[in-house]
Formats: sequence, structure tokens, C-alpha cells
Amino acid sequence: MSESTYTVPIGPQHPALKEPENFTLTVDGEEIIDVKIRLGYVHRGGEKAFESRTYVQNMYLIERVCGICAMAHQLCYVNNIESMMEIEVPPRAHYIRTIVAELERIHSHLLWLGVAAHEIGFDTLFMYVWRDREISLDLMEEITGNRVLHAANTLGGVRRDLSTDIISKLRKGSKIIRERAEYYKKIGLTEKTILKRAAGVGILPYKDAVELCAVGPTTRASGVKKDVRKFDPYSAYDEIPFDLITYDSCDVAARIYVRVDETIESTKIIDYAISHLPSGPIGVKAPRSVPPGEGVSLLEAPRGEDIHYCKSNGTDKPERYKVRAPTLGNWASMARMLIGGYVADVPITLAAIDPCMSCTDRMTFVDANSDKTWTWSLERLRKHAKKFYGR
Amino acid sequence: MIETKREQEIVDELKEKFGQKIIETKVQKPRRVFVTIDSNSLIEVAEYLAHEKGFTHVSTISGLDLGKELGVIYHLIEESDLAITLSLRANIPKENPKLSTLVKVIPGSVLYEREVHELFGVIFTGHPDLSPLILPEKWPSGVYPLRKEWKVEDLKAKINRMRK
Repeated sequence: MSESTYTVPIGPQHPALKEPENFTLTVDGEEIIDVKIRLGYVHRGGEKAFESRTYVQNMYLIERVCGICAMAHQLCYVNNIESMMEIEVPPRAHYIRTIVAELERIHSHLLWLGVAAHEIGFDTLFMYVWRDREISLDLMEEITGNRVLHAANTLGGVRRDLSTDIISKLRKGSKIIRERAEYYKKIGLTEKTILKRAAGVGILPYKDAVELCAVGPTTRASGVKKDVRKFDPYSAYDEIPFDLITYDSCDVAARIYVRVDETIESTKIIDYAISHLPSGPIGVKAPRSVPPGEGVSLLEAPRGEDIHYCKSNGTDKPERYKVRAPTLGNWASMARMLIGGYVADVPITLAAIDPCMSCTDRMTFVDANSDKTWTWSLERLRKHAKKFYGR
Repeated sequence: MIETKREQEIVDELKEKFGQKIIETKVQKPRRVFVTIDSNSLIEVAEYLAHEKGFTHVSTISGLDLGKELGVIYHLIEESDLAITLSLRANIPKENPKLSTLVKVIPGSVLYEREVHELFGVIFTGHPDLSPLILPEKWPSGVYPLRKEWKVEDLKAKINRMRK
């Protein structure tokens, strides 16, 4: 993103990696009784910026909403604009988009699993997971040319085709990732370090998940069967069989299992897509401007449901472009999870909705009995958590 | 022929139940419905959709500058295996941008209303807490950055002054 867009603090707020956000926790001893959220420390004014750029320029700007789920935002955007332009994308492009989107889910879920392991003081697991995550990043580089900010799409299709060489690498890579994910699932279900810190922590009951409109793995870990790929299929998801993963224990442990299981499902989706890859062109020519109208596009990003709204006015620039990234959908639920829990569980509970991490960089505590306030850094908080749990 | 029977049924039911309060409807394609309503009937229409029709999930709320009016769009998603996304729009005058809060009907709308409040200046009456969520602490009151009258250059100038 250009320097000027960084200096305009207007527009939507995008929960992206290393984002500073502020929560004020009201505590009674170790127990949390209230949470107040203040976002916007890295508010970049994206929504205002979209209005002054063309649809083609916005395709690249939209990726900068999130460095981790760049593909998700771009795919949601091109789906929206292509539908408003009424152009038909060739099936091969749909399959390639699906493969890249699932690779991104794998990379994001493994990244999260590593971060979660780090938050509970299990750094060995963190190292192993991030090593395995490299496979998915390398594969995305093979396909699109970039490990992150892939720019895989273009209006009307994808930029690059899959060669037979890449397909065989994909097959190999997906097999390794699946084996590793199955191993991590076994660890997650049996390892005491994880169970002690994750089971029964950060509870979000089914009813609350529905009421507070939680999204993605967070809501599925509370037993809500909600996945955009199933209820509003896009790209090739209506043709590819896969399981919708849910768990009923509503805690951090369930959020771990959902993501590990989804990683396994993603490798299966990739396997299916490469063995059923349609032949033909990978794109069609798209017009420069969009006829007047409006469009809503939904997509299941790694963190959950992503929604874009566009209003066009017949020119080559949108009248209004609205983005709601998944993390914003989960803050209300996260506040609910923290209330009644322990301060020592804050890092892992926050991490469990998979916000972009440094959301927790600053924490202010208010003692309910004396109105005394103090601020801890995440590092200090992590130390407190380790001490509290005697590690 | 693309199937949009269920979408049309919902629109017809809304028209039958609320009559004049439904200003405009559009079934755009499968699973995409747009409905514009009279802003005074927002709560009763939203309650009907949430309690009777299963539109319990508010995905987000979009603000829209229409010149003399502001549009507020509630993107509601149905609880279903193949879910319809219904974009419920209420237009309110820019001079007096007031709308009842949806928090009592769907608690998940709490942060989205704060966002629209801050960026478009819509006042959601009955909302539990409309304190600043996104914009900087010293942000001047009455400056709603996503309204069209605020150009990027003007906002930049405001921010530079704020820093001094």
C-alpha cells in the first residue's frame, strides 16, 4: 500500500497481523468480569481509498487488507465484481482458485496452531508446525510466484496455469501436510500440556455463538454448522466433496481440533481438485467498468466468513466498497469468552479466535475493588500465565 | 433457468405482511435478495425476519452516502444449508440520521452499529455504548470520513492539524 494510504486514519478497521488493539479488562482478583474493546490503531482508510481507485487497482489494494488471507479477500472481491459484470469464469480457473484458497487455509491454520502453542508455552510444537507450514508457502510460490500477497486472480480468471510439474509437487506436498496434521491431532488430543491449558478454557456456548454472530472456526468449535463454502458455495466448492467440521466442547481445545481437522480436509480438497482439474482456458477478458448496481459477496476465509459489499455507478471506480473481515465478527464473542475466565488464560483465549496476534499488545487492568489500573505488555502477561500455571 | 423460487417467496411474504412499509425489492440471483424498507419499520421487519424466517445472523452493516440521504444496509444471513443473504436497507435523512438499534433483536450487531455510527454519523437510538471504536481519540466531532463531502485531502489536512 502506498505511503499516503497509511497516513489517512479513516475507513474500515482490518484485523491484520501485528495489529495493536486495546482491551480494558475489569478484574476481580484473577477473574475477569468485564471487557471493553478499542480498535483502530492501524486504521488505514481502505474503504475511502477504494472509491478513488479503479476496479483493477482495487484488486491489488484489497489483498493488502490482510497479509495472511490475501487470497481470501481478493477472491471475495473478484467473485463480487465478476458477478456484477455478468462474466462467466472458466471452470479451470475456478479449480485453480480453490486450490490456492485451500493452500492459504492450510498456511493460516498452521500459523495459528504454532502461535497457539507458543501462547501456552509449548515452543517445540510451534517450531515443528511452522516448519511444516513452509510447504504450503512454497507451493503457493510455485503456483502464483509469491509466498504471500499472491495476486493469483485477475478479473475473469487466474493469472497462471498449473503445469504438470506443479501438480505433482502439489500432490506430494498435500500428502506430507496431511500426515503431519494427523500427527498434530493425535498430540492435541493426548498431550497434557495442551489439554491442561486448552480444555474448558474460553467457553463460548452454542447459543452465544449464534446470538453474537460469531464466524469461522470459532463458531464451528461451539457446534454451529456454518461454513460459507457449504451454505453459499463459490468457485469449485459446489463440485468438491468435503466435510464440515464442528466440535461441541465450545472451548479453546475445540478451536484447536477444528483447525487441525480443517487442515486435513483442505489437503483432501486439493487432492480432489487436482485429480478432477478441468481442461480449457484459465480466464476471459473482463470489461473495465461495472454497470450500475450492487453486489454482496461471501467467502469462507481461514478465520471465517468474509463479506464484501459493492455499489457501482457505471464507471471504472466503485461508488462504495465495504469490507468486513472475519475477526471483526468475532470480537463480541471473544469478550464473552473472557468474562468469567482467568487473567492467565487471556493470551490463549485471545489467540483462539485467531485474530491477528498483536491485538493483545496492550492490556489495561482495572481492579474491581480499588479502581486501580495498570497496563501489561503481552510478554508480561505471558510470564504471568506461565507462573500462574506453575511452568 | 436459474432457480430463485424460495427467494421470491420471502419477498412476497414481506410485501404481504408489511405492505407499504416495503419500498423496493429485488431478487438479484440465487441466494441474493435486496429489500429497502421504511426506516420506522426496521425493528418490526428485522424481528419478523429473525424470529419467523431464521435470518438470525447479521453479517455486517454497510453505510452508504446517497447525497441527501444515508443508506444503512443490514446484511442478514439465513440459518439454512443453502442460505439466502438478505440485504435490508433503510434510508434516513442526512440532516437527522437516526435509526433504532438492532442490538435487542440481534446482539451481534453491536460493533457494526458502532462502526457505522463513527464513520457515517448515524445515531442508533437505544444502543448500549456508542463510544469511539475505530477513529483516533482526538478525532474532531462532526467529521464522518466515509461521507462523500469529506474528500481525502480535507481529511489529511484535519489529521495533520490533529498531530500538532
